[in-house]
Amino acid sequence: MMAFPSLTPTGRQFTPGNFPSKAYNSQSGAEVRILYGSRRVNATLSLSYANVQDASAESFLTDYIAQLGTFRTFTLPANVFEGWSGSSSSLDAPPGTKWRYDSQPQVQAVRPGISSVTVSLRAVA
Amino acid sequence: MAKVYSGRDGVMQLAGTTLAKVASFSLQASLETLETTTLGENLRSYTPGISGYTGTASLLYYKDDNNAINTTNLLNKIYKTGDAGVSNSDTVELTFRWVDGSDNNDIKITAYITSASIGASTGGIVRAQISFQGTGALSTVTI
Repeated sequence: MMAFPSLTPTGRQFTPGNFPSKAYNSQSGAEVRILYGSRRVNATLSLSYANVQDASAESFLTDYIAQLGTFRTFTLPANVFEGWSGSSSSLDAPPGTKWRYDSQPQVQAVRPGISSVTVSLRAVA
Repeated sequence: MAKVYSGRDGVMQLAGTTLAKVASFSLQASLETLETTTLGENLRSYTPGISGYTGTASLLYYKDDNNAINTTNLLNKIYKTGDAGVSNSDTVELTFRWVDGSDNNDIKITAYITSASIGASTGGIVRAQISFQGTGALSTVTI
């Protein structure tokens, strides 16, 4: 199976997700929270690749198809996290989970041969 | 022979015919640069984007011995009667030339006249000021 393209993004936005829990409020105003799991869920990663060659942009479309769109899960190459000097585990999917496409990659034509790509990923077990 | 060019060496042509009484002209080339800096890099990097050409010219409003006005074929590309406005065919072929004897250094551009102004003032000479926007490739560059 094809791996996620090993390109260093020009922009990255990460949200760590949250632990699954539910809050119940009584009429007195007291709140009870129940934790349903010990693993963060719904971490998201938005990657942008500005002004890349069309061949590089196409590799994301090829990978999206190889992953059957948003269906399959995969791990990410180290390039994706380049520039982050903190712990690598802090900026990745929670242990025991992988990434999947959260939506379709967006490819914007810039000039002949050059495009910009935006990829949105979501961590799932 | 070594030479420093001056305004006396400048010529502006419209469709291959030298325009009379050109007081000044300038031509600007620009290149859009696309940033390719990636995360983890400390220095910006770029790839070339779209390039283009613009310019301006100033001409004295002049009628020659044959009653022909030097700015007619420039100004009528934007000062137009009717409601059709400017069309695709309203381009002009402009040549900017720096002359050294028989040696011509040329830039030839196809352009739209994007603005024009003309007026009159007490004690002043009437001038036509134009701005133009190049379209497509330069057809001659010998500079």
